[in-house]
Amino acid sequence: MVLTSGDLCSSHWLSLLGFPGAMLSEVLLVSAPGKVILHGEHAVVHGKVALAVALNLRTFLRLQPHSNGKVDLSLPNIGIKWAWDVARLQLLDTSFLEQGDATTPTPELVEKLKEVAGLPDDCAVTESLAVLAFLYLYLSICRKQRALPSLDIVVWSELPHGAGLGSSAAYSVCLAAALLTVCEEIPNPLKDGDRVNRWTKEDLELINKWAFQGERVIHGNPSGVDNAVSTWGGALRYQQGKISSLKRPPALQILLTNTKVPRNTRTLVAGVRNRLLKFPEIVAPLLTSIDAISLECERVLGEMGEAPAPEQYLVLEELIDMNQHHLNALGVGHASLDQLCQVTRAHGLHSKLTGAGGGGCGITLLKPEMGRQRQGSSFPPLPTPSWFHSVKPGIR
Amino acid sequence: MSVAWGGSSQVWGTMSRTTPTPLVTLGRSLHPLGLGAETCFLTEGCREDLTTLEAGTRGATQVQYVEQGDATTPTPELVEKLKEVAGLPDDCAVTESLAVLAFLYLYLSICRKQRALPSLDIVVWSELPHGAGLGSSAAYSVCLAAALLTVCEEIPNPLKDGDRVNRWTKEDLELINKWAFQGERVIHGNPSGVDNAVSTWGGALRYQQGKISSLKRPPALQILLTNTKVPRNTRTLVAGVRNRLLKFPEIVAPLLTSIDAISLECERVLGEMGEAPAPEQYLVLEELIDMNQHHLNALGVGHASLDQLCQVTRAHGLHSKLTGAGGGGCGITLLKPGLEQPEVEATKQALTSCGFDCWETSIGAPGVSIHSATSLDSRVQQALDGL
Repeated sequence: MVLTSGDLCSSHWLSLLGFPGAMLSEVLLVSAPGKVILHGEHAVVHGKVALAVALNLRTFLRLQPHSNGKVDLSLPNIGIKWAWDVARLQLLDTSFLEQGDATTPTPELVEKLKEVAGLPDDCAVTESLAVLAFLYLYLSICRKQRALPSLDIVVWSELPHGAGLGSSAAYSVCLAAALLTVCEEIPNPLKDGDRVNRWTKEDLELINKWAFQGERVIHGNPSGVDNAVSTWGGALRYQQGKISSLKRPPALQILLTNTKVPRNTRTLVAGVRNRLLKFPEIVAPLLTSIDAISLECERVLGEMGEAPAPEQYLVLEELIDMNQHHLNALGVGHASLDQLCQVTRAHGLHSKLTGAGGGGCGITLLKPEMGRQRQGSSFPPLPTPSWFHSVKPGIR
Repeated sequence: MSVAWGGSSQVWGTMSRTTPTPLVTLGRSLHPLGLGAETCFLTEGCREDLTTLEAGTRGATQVQYVEQGDATTPTPELVEKLKEVAGLPDDCAVTESLAVLAFLYLYLSICRKQRALPSLDIVVWSELPHGAGLGSSAAYSVCLAAALLTVCEEIPNPLKDGDRVNRWTKEDLELINKWAFQGERVIHGNPSGVDNAVSTWGGALRYQQGKISSLKRPPALQILLTNTKVPRNTRTLVAGVRNRLLKFPEIVAPLLTSIDAISLECERVLGEMGEAPAPEQYLVLEELIDMNQHHLNALGVGHASLDQLCQVTRAHGLHSKLTGAGGGGCGITLLKPGLEQPEVEATKQALTSCGFDCWETSIGAPGVSIHSATSLDSRVQQALDGL
């Protein structure tokens, strides 16, 4: 999405981006959503269907041409401010980036980028990967320009990172969209008087392709679902590498809760694989059952359309409950998630973990009659209030 | 002569021939309810009632009631007739009247071949709560069948001089089980037969589509048995699962397949455990318990009280699942060897302070047994004498 520099709480978030007042006409303002997995996490690794939905917590990027001969990158969420001389970058032999096409960032390429970036040895992994992804996209997309552009880029996000909410994908999508637009590989779809607009299908495909490369720099071997959801929005179905959009999915209100319990995704995924190997006759049908839950959810979402019926929400709630029990049976539950589910159940609401489990985030479905009453204040104090933190609702 | 016996689920009964009073007294105290129902029948009256029952038979099925020696189906009409014979008051509670009717049915059917119906004093006392899915009615029926068949000399008394406890032969156990099943039918209408089979044979049984078979050499497993005391309606819970299967066949059918596989894997591991079970095998049993509990929740038969039970035991490193219908009721917790007794005590305390009843016991116990009077635990003796 592209936003005008005028409205949309601009003074608030523009000041966050360090932009106190004057608007420059060439400034680009781009945003991209995070994502949650609605159903199918873990089972998707074993070839089953997963449903991923765009989360209305967004990453915002402001790109502004410079005249100081530098490329400035600011990432206020993780406290990064980095700058490179355009002239020095121009002198680099970038033949290690192949001509024109979005190609696979190999480990060797990432090593070379590290040298180029000149990051200190003690730079944290998250920070260095974010910088490297930027540099990769900047050098690859802008290399066709006669001269590499001097730019000031600020990226800020509502999304916590490392919580399985697709923050790195939203980052990559914003970078890809902004860089492709400023290099005129794709047109700027914002017309005079537009508050917001989106690119065409073909342009979104190009954005997504590059965003996926950015994800590969950061994650090595990602599925591509995160950047697809962030690019296209709405709801996606994903199975064995094939991604397709759900037509006209309804907007669902949710509570997104972060238990803030850290976990290792790799370990959790391996644990499920081990359980499948140890008890194939028990776990294989369980994965089949999860697959059926995803399919049933897809079916119901497809039927909900403009005027969803209460019975349909009841079905969504039953599916959430069953999937949560299945994920516990796979061994990716956690006491914090049990607590999350119990607390919401005490209020008649239904929740499940989303993503890797073992802590991390959970989603709670809010049915329409809930309206404003349920948001935030009416929940009793938690035993340890710092455990988790409810965020505003919205899946679009 | 006084003979005492107990069933594998620890329902205790004594029976003594009393002369000259021509009475059959049935006293039954169900711990911890202490119903104390006591009913008396005149044996002469019983003989008449038997004739009434015989005369009252209509149609082919009822005629079979009087067939020699066989255990036949107690039909609803028969149960109605028994009610008249029993002369129970109109306000008699269902549980109590069914217990009495089951007794009367077994007494009249088994003892009818005697020249004269025996005059007996019977006391039945149980460690089991009833209505909790723990097979207390089956254990009751098994005790009655075993005792009545023995006193009527249909089967021998296997207790030898100096024996503290003994069991009947395979053939005799089959006859006991057959009659116990009939008693169960009076009480439950259409039971599966598993409860009386386990109570008769003890150990562990596998049951599928009407076929029951014993597991060979199952290990004795120590458990905590916890009763949440949350009442539930089994019929409703069973119907709820059926409805979920009809509503979401593609989701629930594989779930049932997964549960089947859990049972089979457990059977396999129990079969391998034998005399010297390895720690890894207990770990597998615990994983199976956890997975099955999640599956039962997914079927919709969970309950907040059971979640609490599982959480409390998990906090002590132990693994639990509901047992039976769910929606409340009982749960079992596996106690693997090597646990520190203080830890087990702490767990029991924690469960009790949730308002639950908790017993430390074992599963895979012996089936219906006969005991010498002197070998009885004083606690049981007192309970039986307490009436």
